[in-house]
Amino acid sequence: MKMQRVLIVLVMAVAGFGTCALRAQQAAHANSQTDDAAANNPVQKISLPSYPPELPPGPGSEAFRNNCLICHSARYVTMQPRFTKAVWQAEVQKMITAYGATITPANKDAIVEYLVSFHGTKDADAQQVPGATAPK
Amino acid sequence: MMDWPTRFDRRHFVGTLAGMGAFAALGSITKPVAAFAMDHGPELTAAEMQGRELVRFPGKVPMILLTDRPPQLETPLQYFFSDLTPNDAFFVRWHLSGIPTTVDLRTFRLEVSGLVQKPLSLSLDDLKSKFEPVSVVAVSQCAGNSRSFFRPMVPGGQWTHGAMGNAQWKGVRLKDVLDAAGVRAGATEVYLHRLDVPPVQATPPFEKSLSLDHARDGEVMIAYEMNGDPLPMLNGFPIRLVVPGWYATYWVKSLSSITVADQPLKSFWMQKAYRIPNNATANEDPSHLSQDTVPINRMAVHSIFLRPGPGEKLLAGRSYQLEGLAMDGGSEIRRVEVSKDGGQSWTDANLDPEIGKYSWRRWRADWTPPARGNYHLMARATNAAGEAQLTSQWNRSGYQRSVIEQYDAVVL
Repeated sequence: MKMQRVLIVLVMAVAGFGTCALRAQQAAHANSQTDDAAANNPVQKISLPSYPPELPPGPGSEAFRNNCLICHSARYVTMQPRFTKAVWQAEVQKMITAYGATITPANKDAIVEYLVSFHGTKDADAQQVPGATAPK
Repeated sequence: MMDWPTRFDRRHFVGTLAGMGAFAALGSITKPVAAFAMDHGPELTAAEMQGRELVRFPGKVPMILLTDRPPQLETPLQYFFSDLTPNDAFFVRWHLSGIPTTVDLRTFRLEVSGLVQKPLSLSLDDLKSKFEPVSVVAVSQCAGNSRSFFRPMVPGGQWTHGAMGNAQWKGVRLKDVLDAAGVRAGATEVYLHRLDVPPVQATPPFEKSLSLDHARDGEVMIAYEMNGDPLPMLNGFPIRLVVPGWYATYWVKSLSSITVADQPLKSFWMQKAYRIPNNATANEDPSHLSQDTVPINRMAVHSIFLRPGPGEKLLAGRSYQLEGLAMDGGSEIRRVEVSKDGGQSWTDANLDPEIGKYSWRRWRADWTPPARGNYHLMARATNAAGEAQLTSQWNRSGYQRSVIEQYDAVVL
């Protein structure tokens, strides 16, 4: 199995499809667990890849990076629909209240502003439009 | 016209390219590489992807990315043409970024403690050798599966229909393990703990509980095999709970310890999260949220379309077989009806033979679109208890979706 999968990656490389070398490296180690299982190795080990989204610069981006990315990737934002400021405020508050994030009030405001700046909407109804889902 | 589904045959692909002499250049990778487009074929349409990416995680085929840390990966619909969802395509959903990445079976133990006469510390071999093995085919479905279809949309994992899978689970009865430990009088609850850890100390660890009666019903299982193989790490290696008929939030992955107790578990994940409005349809008004909530529990009746596939266009006068899946909490799917006119008229779909009451059930219905135009297809399942899908439903967390499934078909 390992050989097959490695070959797929390499063959794809040779064939020159696409755009992202990083993804190929991730694929190459992606199936290490299968190999271990096949060998009856009592130790199962995986390495987790990361797929960080591109984040725009802007006010609050530093507060966002410093406070939010400790616990989860920015995909947690980018997979959501564009939400209103009220929804983003509630989400950041949930991180503080429910998940114990230590975010100062000033940073909280900055984070909300930042989220609204690139993933917000003024119109609550816009959340209902499927096209408003902008995971990119 | 798109051929749906055309499964990519990996072996064939490798063999073909090998024959073309691609091996000769294996040593030098100089060009950038695609994000697995070739590995997954053209059947993943823009309609299914909705701008999302396919990504590769350990032990998994390319899956639809919701989040990478912690991982939330959705199963592409094409895998649902199999009655059993392949392990390497089974959906992934973790809550806390400290997920287990190394498990050493030489030291791994399942601890059973609390209100028991004899605390246990069981290795995987102990579970396999000291208890009677049992198996069941059951759907594991995220409480938030299909969340992205609620309107207004709600925060949370924006799953389409791929946060579920059907597998044959093998393991031991939780009841047998509890009996071996000897539950003491007065116990009412079973707490379930996992190997994953919160990223910061203030974050509540992921813990769930079942009532002792439920835990001892003989169906709840500690599973060590999935479709004949060990569980993938991302699906809970080495053992996970299987709670047939209940949403997957109770199917505790990488189960590490069990505590028998006489008080409800004080856990964010039971008391605050994974709760639904306390009514039969998990319904509430966005402007008047229900104050009365209960922990989500048994799965509601749900159905999906597989054919036509996402974005597929049909031809007038040609015969098609509509196909989909229906599932519920174990009362058995008895009927699936299909409408091609937006619910004005309904005809019965044919049901594939039943696999088991906790499995999903495949349905099929022949249809020849009579003329060009847009058709509003619908599918509505009913179970043996008479529970049918809903005409409308909303709740703040986007749980337990049970709305009659709809598909806007374009006939050319």
